[in-house]
Amino acid sequence: MRHLLLRRLAAIPLTLLAISALVFLATEVLPGDVARQILGREASDATAAQLRDELGLDRPLPVRYADWLVSFFSGDWGTSYTLKVPVRELVFERLGASMLLAVFAFVLLVPVALLIGVLAGLYHDRPVDRILSVTGLALGATPEFVTGVVLMVVFAVSLRWFPVSAQADPGASLVNRLEHLVLPAVSLVLLCLGYVARHVRASTVASVRSPYVRAAELRGASRFSIVTRHVLRNSTVPATSALGVQAQFLLGGLVSVELLFNYPGIGALLLTAALDKDLPTLQAAALVLGFCYLLITLAVDVVYRLLDPRLRLGVAV
Amino acid sequence: MSVLSRRQLLAGAGGLGLVALLAACGVDDEESPAADGPAEQGGTLRAGTPTPPTAVEPVTMYDGSSIALVQLIADYLIWLDSDFTLVPRLAQKWTGTNQNKTWEFALREGVVFSDGTPLDATAVKASFDRLLDPASKSAALSAFDGVLSPGGVAVKDPKTVVFTLDRAFSDFPYLVSAGNYNAVILKADYAGDFTKNAIGTGPFTLKSYNASTGASLVRNPKYWESGKPYLDGVEVRFYQDSQAEQLALQSGELDTLFITEPSVVQAVGDIALDEVGGTGMTALTLRVDRAPFDKKEVRQAVAYALDRPAVNQAVNDGIGELGNDHLYAPLFASAPSEIPQRAKDPAKVKELLAAAGVSKLAFPLTFDPPNKDYALVIQAQLKEVGIEVKLDQRTSAAFYGGNQESDTPWLFTTANLVSWAGRAVPSQFVNPMVTSTGVWNGSKYKNPALDAALTAYDAATDDAGRKKQAKIIAAALHEDVPVVLSLWNGAVRAYNKRKFRGIKAHPSWYVDYTNVSAI
Repeated sequence: MRHLLLRRLAAIPLTLLAISALVFLATEVLPGDVARQILGREASDATAAQLRDELGLDRPLPVRYADWLVSFFSGDWGTSYTLKVPVRELVFERLGASMLLAVFAFVLLVPVALLIGVLAGLYHDRPVDRILSVTGLALGATPEFVTGVVLMVVFAVSLRWFPVSAQADPGASLVNRLEHLVLPAVSLVLLCLGYVARHVRASTVASVRSPYVRAAELRGASRFSIVTRHVLRNSTVPATSALGVQAQFLLGGLVSVELLFNYPGIGALLLTAALDKDLPTLQAAALVLGFCYLLITLAVDVVYRLLDPRLRLGVAV
Repeated sequence: MSVLSRRQLLAGAGGLGLVALLAACGVDDEESPAADGPAEQGGTLRAGTPTPPTAVEPVTMYDGSSIALVQLIADYLIWLDSDFTLVPRLAQKWTGTNQNKTWEFALREGVVFSDGTPLDATAVKASFDRLLDPASKSAALSAFDGVLSPGGVAVKDPKTVVFTLDRAFSDFPYLVSAGNYNAVILKADYAGDFTKNAIGTGPFTLKSYNASTGASLVRNPKYWESGKPYLDGVEVRFYQDSQAEQLALQSGELDTLFITEPSVVQAVGDIALDEVGGTGMTALTLRVDRAPFDKKEVRQAVAYALDRPAVNQAVNDGIGELGNDHLYAPLFASAPSEIPQRAKDPAKVKELLAAAGVSKLAFPLTFDPPNKDYALVIQAQLKEVGIEVKLDQRTSAAFYGGNQESDTPWLFTTANLVSWAGRAVPSQFVNPMVTSTGVWNGSKYKNPALDAALTAYDAATDDAGRKKQAKIIAAALHEDVPVVLSLWNGAVRAYNKRKFRGIKAHPSWYVDYTNVSAI
């Protein structure tokens, strides 16, 4: 386990370096001009050239990349070209917001997905299973901005139970902030639910048919005890990787939900920075998000090994 | 024929069923409570607006959100009202002399900046010197180009500023008004970073600003107009998505929107829409120096192929006014009324194409995503008369990217659609767009008679003189059709009619909340 951790941690800087180089190159091929974005289309070519010069955009690509790399890793993340605010401040503010929403959605997702998956697995091929599975598939196939709009119109605009905007007023309490996050979190949970529940269902079905469950039944263990002590525990292991994938998605793949619920998260920041060619912001946001992805992947592997002794002990499965 | 409306297009693209959903939720539509009686002080207005694409900076700003935000904090010499009349603000009166080459502005007495510094002619001169300095990268440089140069602004006395122009320009007061939106008066020592040094003479002061979320403003106790503004403050929230903004308005989380898209926001329940005409438009620009549009008859054929009322309905929800292929919007005082309105005439299209010797007309139409609906409507309408349009959509960055003197698509493609923000005076369209030396002459049209008429128009000292030249210019454009102009955009502004009154639409989405009060 320690070797795994050290090996994976050592690979993180190299991976981040590769990400930064790719993002830099990709930004170069994107059409558009950050100077025009800042000055508007009606600025003259001379004015735009003057700004490009001030931003150092006319320097050769390797020079700019090296310059940015040295500054970034020495702690100077620079200033956003377009918004003129410190990039580090901007990225961490947005990352914090995204993490709050992602964690909230994740906390809602895990118990519901486990419950539905186990229920469907226990009653597999029966009406309950079919209803739950089809509903999960249908919700998973419905874009989050569609479920989001429906949730907003029904629960915010019509019933007014929850706020439309996911953004609470500055200085709001955590409870108030979470209240604003209910609808976006639910729309994310509805999207991810089917995927995770399907994994749990599959492993539940396998568990139910396994010799150890049969043995427990023959020993006269109660159904509740079988489910909680044997089925649920074994079903959680395959669900871990599914939840890991969803955690990554929740953190960075929220752009449409962020836009719909007007939530200033890191996904929307990444999108805007890419469209505007705001390189310092784009690079920093991509690296921070990449770092989070790598950490989540590592965490999933560690949890997987902790839950499954066969992997931990190197036994073939 | 039937033309897809923008709303239908959105729905077809899976964008929204919002209108239907809102209706299904049974939002009530009762009459608003009586909103007369004296205005009282108090209340905080919550306004939504698109997230500004850049830092809010009065000297370089060009987007509606930044402009509106700055207009709450800083003021102009003259306000441009929604009917395009000039309203004295920091300047109480102005006079043109020397055949309108010299303009003198008398400043209002008793005006102070929000930090207590008195407004004087030095601050006004510094504000315009800043806009005229190329190093400042001012967005107003193009508006002053050929009219006012650096060094042209002088202080006569502490309350009088004198502008000496490069040439006679009778509409000059419009160029120092809100119509030239960068021309807000800032302190003489203003050095940038507006959201951290937001000192102005406007009705509100900036309490806090976050580039991602919005701004908080409170009443300026030093505002020059006694008893105003009525509001205690304004909370501005930024939105990256117009649907989210509409739903926030509908749910009561917002009271108004700075910028309202008529195709997205509906007057339902508590929401009312104020509507005005405008001078913004989308021009179908045709390259007159390149086949197939090097023949006037071909350009005229395209103009006669369009069903303008249907275009208006499809792309602007019917709130605009019909265009007549010239650059004088009905809102401009000098707009000629004698030129017959061009209308769809398929027989004329055939006749013109035959006269040009064109048996089958086909051309590419280049545009960026905001004009996608417009392009689709044009394609559908021209197809009806046998003209084939090949759509060439570029990203906005690519469309407006490149070199303005050699290859940028919006100025160098055979036919393109370009949206133009409203202008305060027609010369701000005519000069750059269709004169021989125009910096944004995408059609490459050259007409010495038009150039001369524009010079005469700008130098005219009375309305009759301006109208005479405007008619010459408009007739030339209508006949030669370097740009097909189907409609002038109207503007709407949504607000909650049960909570606030005094919120008005503006052709350029400008914001004046001095008369807004809570109900």
